[in-house]
Amino acid sequence: MATSPALAEVLSRSDVWRGDSLAQAALPGVPSGFAALDAELPGGGWPRGGLVELLPARQGLGEMSLLMPALARISSAEMSWVVCVAPPLPPYAPAWAAAGIALSRLLITRAVGGDAAWACARALDADGVGALLAWLPEADASTLRRLQLLAEKSRTLIFLFRPAAAIRESSPAPLRIGIGAANQANDCGRVALRLIKRRGGALDTPLEIDLARPVPISHAVAGPPPSATAARSLSATAAA
Amino acid sequence: MRLADAWALLPELSVQERDLARELRHLESLACWAGSFTSEVLLVPPDALLLEVQGSIRLFGGIEMLLARILDGLAAQGYATNAALAPTPRAALWLAAAGASGKAGEGRGCAGVYGTRIPRCLQATDLRDALALLPLDVLELEAAQRRRLAGFGARCVGDLLRLPRSGLARRLGVEFVSTLAQALGEMPDPRERYRFPDTFRESLELPARVEDAARLLFAAQRLVHVLSGWLAARSSGIVRCELLLEHERGSVTPLELAFAAATRDPERIVRVLRERLERLLLRAPVASLVLVAAAPEPLPGREGGFFGEVAASEGVSLLVERLRARLGEVNVHAIATCPEHRPELASVPVLPGSGSGITVPGPRPCWLLPQPQPLVEIAGRPQRNGPLNLLAGPERIESGWWDAGEENAAGEVRRDYFVAFSRQREWLWIFRDADGWFLHGLFA
Repeated sequence: MATSPALAEVLSRSDVWRGDSLAQAALPGVPSGFAALDAELPGGGWPRGGLVELLPARQGLGEMSLLMPALARISSAEMSWVVCVAPPLPPYAPAWAAAGIALSRLLITRAVGGDAAWACARALDADGVGALLAWLPEADASTLRRLQLLAEKSRTLIFLFRPAAAIRESSPAPLRIGIGAANQANDCGRVALRLIKRRGGALDTPLEIDLARPVPISHAVAGPPPSATAARSLSATAAA
Repeated sequence: MRLADAWALLPELSVQERDLARELRHLESLACWAGSFTSEVLLVPPDALLLEVQGSIRLFGGIEMLLARILDGLAAQGYATNAALAPTPRAALWLAAAGASGKAGEGRGCAGVYGTRIPRCLQATDLRDALALLPLDVLELEAAQRRRLAGFGARCVGDLLRLPRSGLARRLGVEFVSTLAQALGEMPDPRERYRFPDTFRESLELPARVEDAARLLFAAQRLVHVLSGWLAARSSGIVRCELLLEHERGSVTPLELAFAAATRDPERIVRVLRERLERLLLRAPVASLVLVAAAPEPLPGREGGFFGEVAASEGVSLLVERLRARLGEVNVHAIATCPEHRPELASVPVLPGSGSGITVPGPRPCWLLPQPQPLVEIAGRPQRNGPLNLLAGPERIESGWWDAGEENAAGEVRRDYFVAFSRQREWLWIFRDADGWFLHGLFA
């Protein structure tokens, strides 16, 4: 296909991409730690300079394990801060330390509603914040749009957690990922990512990723209660 | 003019008695403020302040920039000033006095922003010419001396400088001649410099009572700049200071400001103050403000980055301050691991930046529930929307006999922990104790 030189120049800009190919990101992405995912993300990793909206079907599917390799890289290798705004539950230090996050550069902020969005905006202003994780279940479209504008001006990696119900709403975030469990009986340790929006078109089929899990799924102890001796000793001590 | 004459001319004249003590307090407050520019500040009561700025010229990017900052700062505080620049203190005072009366001689310095408005003399060699044009009334002479001078036809300082000194000494006194020599820099002019107070307490009476907290910020900024000057002169910073909002009838609302690291940056202090004031509901109108700071910490001047950059950690400590000012100190924290077997005590909130982690053998969840959540047991298996699959365990945790039965303590625990996998594909951390099954964490 012949294109005029002026058009070719426009097309080579990083903020212009053609609908049928993956966009080139202005900033190289942060490797997610999962090669299959990196291959599908514009810029070859989690993109900086834009919101990454994550929509997990529910808590506990592995949505944090998905981010931990990138966060560990930002925290330990890049020596930047990781800021959590309004996490749904208290982060548990031993697990975060084990995942490779430098706790000396982790900041946790409890806030609700407008305060949470304000805290996000301040974190994006600050120098030295490498990643921002925010849980904004109530954020409306205008809040998201403002955050996206701030994100475009910063180099911070921003993960925004929103409830799965928000999938149907439109969002200014350039990358939106639905997180669910892979629905295969024998392969239940995997997580299924639905790239519902990205620069370069949505991905039709869910992307299945093997996350680092506390134990391999094959260890499943199906059925009966664990060890009878444990149960006995517990009831014995309770009686004592 | 007598007061009676003044009233006769202008009956609606309102008369205030001059309060020299208050003037002196204002002068001292200005001296503190001027500490931002130099630590060598001299008070010349009732109305003059001398700043030794030779050492500060380079730091502030040249004499023009320095002058502009000093004069802008004074104007922002509502002071009308007459400034002058000279190599000796006395010459500076005289040039300033001449500037006030509009009879300043043409300075020889370069013209800048404040160009012609400020009489200046930058070189000691130009001093003689600069002073020569000054009228004699800037010299603060006694009446007898003034009469005598008029008698021999001297009209400006230049006329005096042309006369032989020994004759001047005989006619006007040795003291006058040495004053002249000091102004010219021929004789030393020792002066005691202002001693900055050990603790800072600066008050500001508001011109009108203020009922809206947000409007206090503007007035408080002025105090903050004085504080910043005081800190700069002492090469120190504060991590804590207090703004007292004084109401009528003696009641006071204290407002404590805390900083993540010692600072004396007025913008940073004002930013924290703004967050606090925006959230404040006033009980009563405010009549005056008092800014109190004790215990400053040593804070050496910051060296500029090689390429004008700001250290990253400084950016984050600013962030921490702003978040803490608005959201409260307990809501902005870091986490650290604590060597403790009981899981709920192994993770503790700590000050931002002081988090540290040791890893624990055995799987630990990313989120820990604040309170274990009971799970139903059916046919010996814990349930959460269906039976749970136990993937690993048991991990026996048995500890804490020492604070059993104490209030607000975790107490003694005897638990078997398991990693469980639910029908909804959730990874859970559950335990069983004598009371049954409980959900304690989520491996998200």
